[in-house]
Amino acid sequence: MKPKLDVVFSGVGGQGIVVLSDIFCEAAMLEDFDVAKAEIHGMAQRGGSIVAYARIGARVESPLIETGKADVVVGFEVLETVRALSMLKECGTVIVNMKLIPPSYLSRGVKLKSREELLELLKAKGLVHEVDGTGIAQKLGNTLVVNTILLGALSALPEIPLKAESFQQAITSRLKEKYISLNLKAFQLGRESVQKVKK
Amino acid sequence: MTTKIFEDKPGSYALLNGDEAVARGATQAGIKVAAAYPGTPSTEILEALAEGAKDLDIYAEWSINEIVAAEVAIGASMTGVRAITSMKHVGLNVAADAIMTAAYTGIEGGLVIVVCDDPALHSSQNEQDTRYFAVHAKLPLLDAGNPQEALDMAHKAYEISEKLRLPIILRLTTRVAHGKARVKLGEFQRLERKPEFDKDSTKWVMVPANAIRQHRVLESKLSEAKKESENSQFNLVEDNASDIGIIGSGVGYYYARSVLDTSEFSWLKLGFVYPFPSELIKTFASKVKKLIVIEELRPYIEENIAGLKIDFMGKNELGLEEIGEFTPDKIRTALAKLHLTTKPENLQQPPNLPPRPPVLCPGCTHRAFYYALNRIHQSVHCENDKCVGCSICEYACSFEKEGIFNPLKSRIRTARINATNLAFTCRACIDAPCVKACPQEALTQSKQTGLIKVDEAKCIGCDWCIEACPHGALNLHPTTHKPLICDLCNGKPKCVSLCPESALSLRGKTDDKIVAGDIGCYTLGFLPPLKAMQTCLCMGGGISQAAGMIHAGVKDKVFAVIGDSTLFHGGMPGLLNIVYNKANVCVIVMDNSIVAMTGHQPTPGSGKTAMGQNAKTINIESIAQAVGIEKVITVDPYDLETSIQALREAISYEGPSVIIAKRSCPLLIQRGPPREIKKSCNGCKVCTETFGCPAINQTGSKAEIDTALCRGCGVCEEVCPFDAIGRKK
Repeated sequence: MKPKLDVVFSGVGGQGIVVLSDIFCEAAMLEDFDVAKAEIHGMAQRGGSIVAYARIGARVESPLIETGKADVVVGFEVLETVRALSMLKECGTVIVNMKLIPPSYLSRGVKLKSREELLELLKAKGLVHEVDGTGIAQKLGNTLVVNTILLGALSALPEIPLKAESFQQAITSRLKEKYISLNLKAFQLGRESVQKVKK
Repeated sequence: MTTKIFEDKPGSYALLNGDEAVARGATQAGIKVAAAYPGTPSTEILEALAEGAKDLDIYAEWSINEIVAAEVAIGASMTGVRAITSMKHVGLNVAADAIMTAAYTGIEGGLVIVVCDDPALHSSQNEQDTRYFAVHAKLPLLDAGNPQEALDMAHKAYEISEKLRLPIILRLTTRVAHGKARVKLGEFQRLERKPEFDKDSTKWVMVPANAIRQHRVLESKLSEAKKESENSQFNLVEDNASDIGIIGSGVGYYYARSVLDTSEFSWLKLGFVYPFPSELIKTFASKVKKLIVIEELRPYIEENIAGLKIDFMGKNELGLEEIGEFTPDKIRTALAKLHLTTKPENLQQPPNLPPRPPVLCPGCTHRAFYYALNRIHQSVHCENDKCVGCSICEYACSFEKEGIFNPLKSRIRTARINATNLAFTCRACIDAPCVKACPQEALTQSKQTGLIKVDEAKCIGCDWCIEACPHGALNLHPTTHKPLICDLCNGKPKCVSLCPESALSLRGKTDDKIVAGDIGCYTLGFLPPLKAMQTCLCMGGGISQAAGMIHAGVKDKVFAVIGDSTLFHGGMPGLLNIVYNKANVCVIVMDNSIVAMTGHQPTPGSGKTAMGQNAKTINIESIAQAVGIEKVITVDPYDLETSIQALREAISYEGPSVIIAKRSCPLLIQRGPPREIKKSCNGCKVCTETFGCPAINQTGSKAEIDTALCRGCGVCEEVCPFDAIGRKK
């Protein structure tokens, strides 16, 4: 019997959230999992909150995850990770990219918590893997691969029932030829960022 | 988009969303013609078909609007080939005129009308339920609950359509259309049909004598359709010999299955929902003691079951609303009320976080033009929490204007009220009360800038204007006894540049004009900080709403904002109408030559078709001139000064006018050099509080630019009053 796993991807429009959750599902399909996912396209291509849900298992009926039932939350940015936190089960796992993107317009009187305060909220709820996705991406010379770094980190979690090769194959078949080697490298660095902590 | 949609590998799996699955199903059925207008969440259907069109040997087009698309598909079907048209629910209203009568004429080649409803209005202006449209139009409707059903239904619908000789409506909802799932692909049917049109006019000319006969034909087709729905593969019974039976349609059915132990209940998934399969329902109901109905939006199934005099528990008993979309949480809560499952756990409220609503993208041309629109009338604004009451503004003003340091001769005044320091000056009110109050007609207000001018020869120093000012912003000159009124120092107020606390800034107004809006990315201009438009009704509606206000007697200049694609879609009749019926509307066309909101589909202004072929580029200036608009100005929205000038010109023009703010969507062109905040930034917040680019934010004492988000448009350089933004070195 295939294990069930529910993942929430949360970030800001333009960070590659939809593509990443697609690749995650495609990797699962390579290992004969049933998958269903939900996302919303439309208004606001850049800059709004974006959430994608991905569910894998022997049979998945609903594309949406129940509140408080997600096994893992992958956050592309600190504030949006906290926003998705109510989806996470007790003692679930959080992968968070350490970047904070403040909202462009703060209504008067609304105070933005600091990155450290927000991280505390995450740690109170589950096991948190902090990934310097933006920093690693800068070293690779392309800030657009943050999402692949986070996918690498996700793939290295003990609760993920999928092989690294499946992810690599899904990346290779999804992306344009010229971006593949860069993304495979980003994937590997993402994996290592979590593995290092585990040791 | 995944390229796997059209792979010729029957039996294999692909990760497809509901829209892509529809495209796959329709091509499996051998369609020849596809036509649509983009609309979330239906867009990806035609997008996929257009991308695959060449290889699949089909014709796909983005039509001007939904009724044109429906007519194109109907025309193709009349020649015997299979055709598809797809639209969002509100697009169906536009296409309704053609579809209602196509039900009478019937079809030759199979015709499927795909309609995507949007419960919870993720990107729509209402929540209509297309199942009721099917009843209204008397057309059979299939209701898909997941991408696999969408694929299978899209394929099978052609067989049903040709059997019944009727168009079939295939309904999806957002969670089906934009949810992805593992979908099993089917086999391609190879149809070699030669298009032939049967010229029998009695069949196609819906004059009364023919149409009434066809109405009778439609009724008999519907009784055939009922037999189809009674026996449809899409009305699936899972009989688990339970006392409790659950009937559902759409994605809500699958939420129920995911929160219950499915083996403990009997299930009926309704997919062929109109005509209603009443016999099937009666049989199912007779085998259970308790019947539960789960359906999103309106209680269509419930009303039909009630009509059969069968007892059931529905929205009322379950506490489910007709408003919004279902979620597994809502369904669990509802079913827990009947003790069929446990209540949701862990439903804690998320911490109070600042929202990140949809916004206009960094570099957006619409933001730039809205900013210009807000700057037609401007005035000096004082931030009370920064003002220390030092009075330097008064000295600066009196010296600049009168050549003397004397606060009594200043056009700006400071005051201390309780614990707050303030500075007041003329706000350039709309329909300024001071002008009205003057008994000598010595005061006049510029239509273009809103600034008040004093004719000193006429002024008798009576003080009435001072009394009339609601802001306490006017004063009499101590010796000449003429009013002192701010004139903004030709756009560069001395008080602003010399304020040591950066409490003063020159700001535009968001509430001084009526701006009717429309549907597109630019609808987001209603949000703060721009707050630049006030209506959004339907495609192309803004121009005529504005005209209606004017005919009602509104005296202000009324603007209507519309995008290029929306103008082509539904705005052109309104544009012609304001000329014919003489409405003094200034129409602003936000022309980025693309349908940006739905993901950059080409328009008649793009010079490309859906299938990537070159097309004649339609010029909006020529359209405006052709319908008789005599004042047509084209500007680059990134050029704020020219845009403001054009707007001021339009304000003083008598008669309908058009301003075209033309520039490509920044997401489609290469980024410019990123900008950065210079050391000279004084934290005045004009950029964040009046312009609102998502790449700029200010959490500390100075603004910051996120270079990863910055598109390098450079408009913020024009916005900054202190020259504190420049290219990144």
